[in-house]
Amino acid sequence: MYQSPIRKPLIEGKKTYRDISDQILAPMINRPKKSWYLGILISGSAMIFGLAMMAWTVWQGIGTWGENRTVGWAFEITTFVWWIGIGHAGTFISAILLLFRQRWRNSINRSAEAMTIFAVICAALFPFIHLGRPLLTFFIFPYPTTRGIWVNFNSPLVWDVFAISTYFTISLIFWYVGLMPDIATLRDKLSRGFKKTVYNFLSFSWKGSARDWHRHEVTSIMLAAIATPLVLSVHSIVSTDFADSILPGWHSTIFPPYFVAGAIFSGFAMVLTLLIIARKTMGLEDFITVEHIESMNKILIATGSIVALAYIAETFMSFYSGVEYEHANLMNRMTGPYRWAYWIMIGCNVVSAQLLWIKKLRTNLMFTFFLSIVINIGMWFERFVIIVVTLHRDFLTSSWTMYKPTIVEYGLIIGTLGIFFTAFLLFIRTFPVISIFEVKSILKVETAAQSNKNIRHE
Amino acid sequence: MSNHDYIVVYFDDEVPMKQALVRLTEKKERIIDVRTPFPVHGVDRILGMKKTRIPIGGFILGLLGAVLIFVFMSWCFVVSYPLIIGGKPYFAAPSFIPNTFEITVLFAGVSMAFAFLIRSKLKPDIRFRPLDEKITDNMFVILVDVNGGNTTAEKIREILSDIKPVEIRESEVKNNG
Amino acid sequence: MDEHFIFTKGYRNTLALIVAASLLAALIVILAGNPSASRIWANILLNNQFFLGISLGAAFFIAVHRISMAGWHTVIQRLPEAMTGFIPVAFILMLIIYFGMGSIYEWANPGIHDPVIEGKRAWLNIPFFFIRMVLYFAGWIILVRIMQKNSEKLMTSTDLKYDRNRKLLAGLFLVFYGITVSASSWDWIMSIDAEWFSTIFGWYVFISMFVSALSFIILLAWLLKSRGYLTLLREDHVHDLAILLFSFSIFWAYLWFSQYLLIWYGHLPEETAYFIPRLHRYKVIFGLNVGVNFLVPFFGLVRSQSKKNLDWVAIIAFITLIGHWVDYWLMIMPGAAGESSRIGILEVSTTLLYSGIFVFIVFRYLSQGSLIVKKDPFLEESLDYES
Repeated sequence: MYQSPIRKPLIEGKKTYRDISDQILAPMINRPKKSWYLGILISGSAMIFGLAMMAWTVWQGIGTWGENRTVGWAFEITTFVWWIGIGHAGTFISAILLLFRQRWRNSINRSAEAMTIFAVICAALFPFIHLGRPLLTFFIFPYPTTRGIWVNFNSPLVWDVFAISTYFTISLIFWYVGLMPDIATLRDKLSRGFKKTVYNFLSFSWKGSARDWHRHEVTSIMLAAIATPLVLSVHSIVSTDFADSILPGWHSTIFPPYFVAGAIFSGFAMVLTLLIIARKTMGLEDFITVEHIESMNKILIATGSIVALAYIAETFMSFYSGVEYEHANLMNRMTGPYRWAYWIMIGCNVVSAQLLWIKKLRTNLMFTFFLSIVINIGMWFERFVIIVVTLHRDFLTSSWTMYKPTIVEYGLIIGTLGIFFTAFLLFIRTFPVISIFEVKSILKVETAAQSNKNIRHE
Repeated sequence: MSNHDYIVVYFDDEVPMKQALVRLTEKKERIIDVRTPFPVHGVDRILGMKKTRIPIGGFILGLLGAVLIFVFMSWCFVVSYPLIIGGKPYFAAPSFIPNTFEITVLFAGVSMAFAFLIRSKLKPDIRFRPLDEKITDNMFVILVDVNGGNTTAEKIREILSDIKPVEIRESEVKNNG
Repeated sequence: MDEHFIFTKGYRNTLALIVAASLLAALIVILAGNPSASRIWANILLNNQFFLGISLGAAFFIAVHRISMAGWHTVIQRLPEAMTGFIPVAFILMLIIYFGMGSIYEWANPGIHDPVIEGKRAWLNIPFFFIRMVLYFAGWIILVRIMQKNSEKLMTSTDLKYDRNRKLLAGLFLVFYGITVSASSWDWIMSIDAEWFSTIFGWYVFISMFVSALSFIILLAWLLKSRGYLTLLREDHVHDLAILLFSFSIFWAYLWFSQYLLIWYGHLPEETAYFIPRLHRYKVIFGLNVGVNFLVPFFGLVRSQSKKNLDWVAIIAFITLIGHWVDYWLMIMPGAAGESSRIGILEVSTTLLYSGIFVFIVFRYLSQGSLIVKKDPFLEESLDYES
């Protein structure tokens, strides 16, 4: 298919199909670098610390956390929403960009989708441990109980259960269906041995038959088609955890799409954090080019702007609504004891993201890397501001209190970061980080695009 | 599918492979299969493959899931154990919508994935051996039916004399590979 | 390759006839039926908003495609460009609302004694209302005009600086539009029910605008194709237009449901007061709104084959366009005209009147210059496009 000559190439260097297989499979076949060992040492330690804190919570009880009667939800649900949000970028890249035919997704969708799965796992830990009696987790699933009662289908918390279970299942299926042909490539590259047997098993006897490819393509597009509304619905349902209440600052009709935009925003930031490092350490700069980084930055500025618009709408409505509690809530956020959290949020989410209008910054990897971390910090604070700052000043002034987090809670956040990065580091050693067959399918067009240098804008 | 004799024609690029495919179908040779490292557009058309019905299956099962879960929730909250929660009516239809939507997606997605695996006969098998390990790397392969001895490697070589495939050989294919 | 739309005498006469007939019908109804002033002014506002929405939605369509460097739409880009021509006319029509402010907006009535509305006086007062209106329109008209000028240059010049300029302008327009589409909807539509508020409202109106614009683009494409123009428009482009209509109708339903669910669930009287008259007095229209705007595009366009057939897609687009007119009716009428709201001859004739004017303006723009942007860097890509 013809491509306008002003488009930049998505693959650099003159490559053959074999080059693509070899370069992408190299990390699975070769020994890991020192940087990988260092990475897994750090993330592994964080993970173990976190798991210890989780065990301590389950053993000793929720009293080990800093929640009190006024601030009943704090760090844990903030981090839960934060992780679910991060997961959304993977599905956005895999599904929505596929439907919009954005070819630059081909080299980043595999790792983004894996990131989604790990993020959802990290998120799902929180409902489990914050139940007080985690062994009774099965209560949240609708099964015929001996007491005759059913789950409260009216509750957004139950909607969460349905949404996150579905999201995890579909993400896993989508990821694995896409992975099968690449596992077959890996299987065929390896010579005899245990590894080969394992990959042979995991490849589901994939043989590259045209009929199978046809079904594979159709299934992928259909999974993308249903995963797209899933991206919207999951984080909307998570937002209804707050929006379905009647608390000022929480009860706001804009929450569903606003949370979804914020989720994609933080998710893309995390993808950038991971891939800027991975492309360097794994030698994949020819596949994840500056063009890819710039495209992801454009999504960042789009979603960041939508989040900013939502802030404007919320701020305006606090005044316009005439509800004195809404007004008080906003004033508290801006000028109250937690104003530092609010202004960190504005600085990290609104101001910093708008810097990406400048092309020089959009194409600068160092800037993008630091910005992506800043954005994720900002997005964590956004949920903190929405949750803790709304709760801590109750309707009764005698209930007003401050929230004091404990070391256990900090440990949980560090722990989930540890789990996430450990899982990702293990992933890059066991499965191809880039979708091999999808990159091969665009090789011809992109190699042709490389020779259009003189026609392009820059 | 036990031992069959095929003629296997190898190409190192998809363009000559497609040309060869067109030529062979014109000459009425029976193509058993085409195997490639990535999906090549146009192959389904040349081979006259029918479009898969997986999406239809997914759609129907999705709707089935939607109806099932909506009816189930309504039954729970209206018939089995009616509860007034937060002043909502027993039949709280707007509340049921999020769950209905999620189950629709779940049923549709899982059914399509399984339909795909079952229809393509893909299952984990440690005894699996592919026809050629280069297919998943960079080789594009056409499998032509021997047709009871009428078609030979020589004949194919002649038909494709100007397209020049990398290799043509007669092969015994075992174990579905 | 070149195509010129000829705005024939036949078209002009038909449109003149529609405008004259509907104007006559409206005048007869006003003189004979004596509808309330609120209802008349609400009709003017409704159609102003509906057709302005189509124009702004078209501008958004162009801007978002330019900034994302999309190429497929290049073959039809003149259509939404022509639709933006209505924006200056909408400006004049909105200024005319000044004379009917008291009939539509209860806060504009000098005698009102509502503490809630008094609290909003800083925002809801007539001078500030019109200053904002001028600012919104100034930005829209200027930005769209400059974007248009750069696009026109690409009819003859291959200098890529015009493409770069219009990309930059697309970005500026999107930022300005993002803020003003919300703010204008708060001003012009949400303040009708002055005691009510909903943070998602601006985004809900935006998506109605966009889907209406998509429907109109499809109908326009169908009309031109059936008259022998747009020979370069193929099945693949139609497929993509249909995908957009399909997906954004679903997105509209999602935003509608977000607003409805949260207000239903919270059950707060100050919020549910908005839906009570709409649900109870206008049950059928309310149901039609959700049903038509969601179910028709969904089931009508879910199959791949249906998306490629321009005739079928045009039918769905037509139904959806009417559906979104009903959507605007529900937003504006019950609050503005209260008891006297209905869908009668006055509504139909006013809408036909506006349609005639709108189509006239679009056709005039289309006939100025080629239908193909000849030196557009993405033209070749669009011609070769495979969906």
